[in-house]
Amino acid sequence: MLRTFAMILAGGESPALSVLTAERSEAAVPFAGKYRIIDFTLSNCVNSGIYNVGVLTQYRPRSLHEHIGVGKPWDLDRRIGGVRVLHPYLTSEGGAWQRGNADALRANLDIIAEQKVDTVLVLAGDHVYKMDYRPMLQLHEDLDADLTLAVHSVSPHEAHRYGIVSVDADGIVTQFEEKPRRPRSSLASMGIYVFRKNFLMEVLANGDEQNIGRDLMPKLVQQTSVVSYHFQGYWADVGTVQAYYEANMALLVETPALDLYDPEWVIHTKSEERPAAEIGEHARVDGNLLCDGCRIYGTVARSIIAPGVVVSEGAVVRDSILLSATVVEPGAVVDRCIVDKEVVIGSDAVVGDGEDNTPNQRAPDLLNTGLTLVGRSAHIPPNVRVGRNVVIRPRVTTAAFGGQTVVASGATITR
Amino acid sequence: MRVVAMIMAGGEGTRLSVLSEKRAKPSVPFAGKFRIIDFTLSNCVNSGIFDVAVLTQYRPHSLNAHIGNGKPWDLDRANGGVQLLQPYQGRRDESWYKGTADAVYQNLNYIRERRADLVLVLSGDHIYKMNYAEMIEFHQQKRADMTVAVMHVPLEETDRFGIMTVDEDQRVIEFTEKPKNRDKGTLASMGIYLFNVDTLIKRLSENGEGSPRIDFGKHVIPAMIGRDAVYAFPFQGYWVDVGTIQSYWETSMDLLNPDNTLNLYDTDWIIHTRSEERPPAKLGPQARVSRSLICNGCIVRGTVEHSVLSPGVYVSPGAVVRDSVVMNDTWIGPGAVLDRVIVDKNVVVGAGVRLGCGDDITPNREQPDKLTTGITIVGKGAHIPPNIRIGRNVVINADRDEEDFPAGDVKSGETI
Repeated sequence: MLRTFAMILAGGESPALSVLTAERSEAAVPFAGKYRIIDFTLSNCVNSGIYNVGVLTQYRPRSLHEHIGVGKPWDLDRRIGGVRVLHPYLTSEGGAWQRGNADALRANLDIIAEQKVDTVLVLAGDHVYKMDYRPMLQLHEDLDADLTLAVHSVSPHEAHRYGIVSVDADGIVTQFEEKPRRPRSSLASMGIYVFRKNFLMEVLANGDEQNIGRDLMPKLVQQTSVVSYHFQGYWADVGTVQAYYEANMALLVETPALDLYDPEWVIHTKSEERPAAEIGEHARVDGNLLCDGCRIYGTVARSIIAPGVVVSEGAVVRDSILLSATVVEPGAVVDRCIVDKEVVIGSDAVVGDGEDNTPNQRAPDLLNTGLTLVGRSAHIPPNVRVGRNVVIRPRVTTAAFGGQTVVASGATITR
Repeated sequence: MRVVAMIMAGGEGTRLSVLSEKRAKPSVPFAGKFRIIDFTLSNCVNSGIFDVAVLTQYRPHSLNAHIGNGKPWDLDRANGGVQLLQPYQGRRDESWYKGTADAVYQNLNYIRERRADLVLVLSGDHIYKMNYAEMIEFHQQKRADMTVAVMHVPLEETDRFGIMTVDEDQRVIEFTEKPKNRDKGTLASMGIYLFNVDTLIKRLSENGEGSPRIDFGKHVIPAMIGRDAVYAFPFQGYWVDVGTIQSYWETSMDLLNPDNTLNLYDTDWIIHTRSEERPPAKLGPQARVSRSLICNGCIVRGTVEHSVLSPGVYVSPGAVVRDSVVMNDTWIGPGAVLDRVIVDKNVVVGAGVRLGCGDDITPNREQPDKLTTGITIVGKGAHIPPNIRIGRNVVINADRDEEDFPAGDVKSGETI
């Protein structure tokens, strides 16, 4: 197999994820309770036999750096290769923040040059999928291509969110359009590129494109034969609150498209040591994912419960995602919410209340389906009723509610 | 002050029946994802002791694999860390460990190499959380040669323990192993001993005729009282020696009691273990779960009441698991009913099996002293054929296949 260096692009801000990316990059956002989104890409690398990985960071990297550490959970703590975190830095010429993912690769040209590899596999750190990269690398090698990109069929209604690719009968890409208004096909680029190393270095050194999809790909398609690799498995871009919620909830069906229980393709993550989930005598728990260390004494239905969450007696959690160490106090109700880490929901509070579906006033395009979001370490006072499409920003204290007992749908509570 | 912990993990634990058939007792799974020895190992590192030796002898493979280089306990260290000490062959002498004191005696070199000042002798098969730093401080305050940890037990149970009689300064004046008369007090030895290294070497080296030094509790400690300054450190809290099937089952069920004082969720005293990477537990829409511990990787589509499920257990739709302990990756078929059973790893319970059924509690015929209370045990890797009825106090040995079972029902007290 070709010697490969994987570069995972994990520096993006993803503002469409609202409070979830207020204090961390999208790659570090928790998924399915105990994972982070980047775990899927990192696990795909090692499960595909790629042990030489760079992670490119820029936006709010602390959570991601801490998660990756020396790469132990993925067996990436190695003497040869392994994982390294590549962050923007100052140089004697000044240095600069990276203005896009192509710019980010360019800033690391020296690292790419050092690698004794044939190909560079460029990956996105913010997609949820299980993929063996080896067949794609094999195709790249067989056709002796300069560049191979992975494509996935998407719904025509969603096509405008992606880079859309047209291919000829041989699978050679004839056109690449980033986020087109009138898509010509429903084959979307997955943001997974295999570059011949020398080709990539030449392209980056002789240009100043900022973004791979927007600026670089349309050019390269004209310049050389770009090969497409059609991936058929599960793949989700969870870059919006709604997509994130749906991808999580899809895990609750009887046979989810994303099988996390496959011993042949384990998704590795950095887990804290937590005891078994405890389920109390009066608890009702059906249709959920429950992580180690959670304690359920109330009712939890159709929800994802991360490690260390406590749902007290008489509390009800429905159709929601609760991230690590959040506490739902007695009698509280959480309905269709995404609740970040270490939140306290006061006793008898109702979060996600009523039928009023007024979109969020600050982000009406983003939050209009009734989901209420609670940011990290926020405290929701007892007895308060919070409507739908509400955003409660991270670290909001009970004082921020100013004694009001009703927060209307569409509101935003800030510190 | 350098402290070395020596964890006794070589015992066979015959009273745990098939659970310790293929592994040493400290390696028996507990509370779903832990092994019994995790409690002692975690107590060591949480108390700041990073020089830990684990003395193994009986079926050590499972234990060796579990401890490995000690990574989960941060015991993979450049200086110190965990060391597995197995019996070895020497030029002049060779022998298996004959008892706890003999095991330490054969490894005095390790203690000298680590330049220990104090040696903490621990048992690898107790469930408890204890800060040994407090015991060490007590030992130094009393200027003791040896300190033994003790706890109060009910007067009517004193005949099961080694009972320490102390003076008002906590100095031990008498030690009585399993006293018949109830006049020695209620302070029981927990099998946790802290020695000054010189005292330990001196007493273990006095191997005269008629005064053997094989076992701490039987030989060494009684001989020290009166000659050395032996003190009793009173411990309060949860402590169980899970020596029998009955106590293993009771201790497991104890975890489900809301008043249980063994808090596994305390973030200041984490019990560390070697975990496999598993996805979250999935509870299907039909699942009914109450008063249970469920680990990562479980898929529950049936009913689970008052039970402990280890990682990767699959409970099919219509199956019922009640008052039971089920270990890793066991598969429970549709409609199967488990009542008061302990099921080891990788067992397949066929569809419609009734495991632990009926009111007949005839004691197990091969192990009448161990299995009398109605608990049925299934050994590792056994396959139980569909639709069979199995009574109580039954033992199904490890790796039994469908053809090993009789055509009809298995009555209470049978062994397969």
